Amino acid sequence: MIYVIDHNDSFTHNVVHQFSLFDQVECDNYNEINIKKLQKASVLVFSPGPGNPRNYPTTSKIYKQFKGKKKMIGICLGFQQILFCEGAKIIEQKKIYHGFQSDIKVISDKSLFKKGKIFKVGRYHSLKLKEPFKIDNFDITMRCLKSKVAMSFENSKEKIYGFQFHPESFLTINGNLLIKKILSA
Amino acid sequence: MNKRNQLAEVHNSGKPYIIYKSKKGFDLFTNFSKKIILNNNNIAGFLNKKHKNNSRDTDLYIGFFGYEILNNLISVKIPKQKSIKFPKGIFYKPEKKISLSNNLKYKNKDKYKNSSFKININKDSYTKIFNKFKKKIKSGETYQIKICTKYKTKSKIDPLNFFSKLSKTNLAPEAFMIRDKNYSIISCSPENLITKKGVNILTKPIAGTVKKTKSLNKIKALKYFRKNIKETKEHNMIVDMERNDLSRICKPGSVKLFKQKTVEEYKDLFHYVSLIKGKLKKNIKNKDIIKAMMPGGSVIGCPKINTLNLLNKQEKENRNIYTGSFGYIKFNGDMRFNIIIRSILNFKNISEISVASGVVVDSNAQHEFNENYIKAKALIDLFK
Repeated sequence: MIYVIDHNDSFTHNVVHQFSLFDQVECDNYNEINIKKLQKASVLVFSPGPGNPRNYPTTSKIYKQFKGKKKMIGICLGFQQILFCEGAKIIEQKKIYHGFQSDIKVISDKSLFKKGKIFKVGRYHSLKLKEPFKIDNFDITMRCLKSKVAMSFENSKEKIYGFQFHPESFLTINGNLLIKKILSA
Repeated sequence: MNKRNQLAEVHNSGKPYIIYKSKKGFDLFTNFSKKIILNNNNIAGFLNKKHKNNSRDTDLYIGFFGYEILNNLISVKIPKQKSIKFPKGIFYKPEKKISLSNNLKYKNKDKYKNSSFKININKDSYTKIFNKFKKKIKSGETYQIKICTKYKTKSKIDPLNFFSKLSKTNLAPEAFMIRDKNYSIISCSPENLITKKGVNILTKPIAGTVKKTKSLNKIKALKYFRKNIKETKEHNMIVDMERNDLSRICKPGSVKLFKQKTVEEYKDLFHYVSLIKGKLKKNIKNKDIIKAMMPGGSVIGCPKINTLNLLNKQEKENRNIYTGSFGYIKFNGDMRFNIIIRSILNFKNISEISVASGVVVDSNAQHEFNENYIKAKALIDLFK
């Protein structure tokens, strides 16, 4: 079972529908977490959402509790939330991407995806990862072709994955394939 | 008796009645046997009511949900605001339905007096609010937010006179009018929020409007929208948000984008429109549908909950009907609802017109303030 933790976003149910193509999905708001579902889930997904990772201490706690024990996937705010828990700084960016379609490129040979491959993806983010960023086992695997902003990380050792873009957006081409691959990793 | 006379007859009788745009013309509903004034205590019961008869074309409730009750329904609180004590929502059970053509012939020669319209937020205050929200976008608290301004004037109006004038210049697909004893609403809403038939549900968000000119045809309008990055981004956001809202109540995999960013042509303007459809999950109730879809995202901003909270903290005056929804729920569960925009509410001889336009990261306060005025002007002109 996949447990999606919703940060009051208007895109969370697109995420739920996308993951439902592959497994049973449960979804609750971050301040109404069900402990039984949390324990039972094999995969935890941190949803997109407004604001900054520091606004969601409960989610940070869940992340730290289950790190290394369950597969975890963060999307947009969820991506930032995981990196924030790992000590990264999340900062405002000059150019803001809301409802934007960008080309992004796989830049790492440690990725599940083929190095050099380009994806068209939908973006909704005001904030970004501050770089340089270096934490053991976490590799930045995709970047925006134009701005070079970090677009995904993969930690294949502890099975933690994050996308700054929205694989569930209609602006993302082949978003389902991305999720399928991460879920079967 | 011909149909034109029927309209005048109902109107002159003084009875409450409702007109709603249909495919071919208009439907008129009257002879109301029940009138339900909604509040936070009775709305759940109203929505989940079961009905025995459902075969007649008057087996339905028709009316509106105001903005406030839709917030309350999804547990979003509104701080104390200036209010004219207009009901939060009203639904009627009609016993008579009359089909009318698009040509509503009605004229009222009476002269009425009205003072000029006053706006509740001047340009300076608007710019301040605008800049505040822009900061909230930069910090990621909202991605898009619609600031509402309100124009008001003291006046007695003949709603049918206004509505028939309006239907000549702007035959909007979700237009409606309500005439009751103590209030009236006239609207040329273009936007359908819910069309539900059996398990099929669809929504048709509009984001992007451009005025028609001699040189701007449909093909050029599409080019204009595609080139305009701001309009495109706003539209994309609304499409993903509406997909999300449908996904709450629809079967996984059934929510599909049927028309993506197409242009629809109206008498005076072009709209940038998408069409999203889904199939409802089993055991979804009317209340679930209303809660998932309302208030309609395209007139609020995104993400919905946080943006509603930001708006409600900012706005000092009750929105009343504005950005609520008008439509009907049939006794067999089918429904049709619009988003209440481009409307006049006349209550206690005061007419109010609310308009809103979007703050996104690259919008401009001056432009959006003027945009609001342009949107209101078509309705203000009716008073001349």
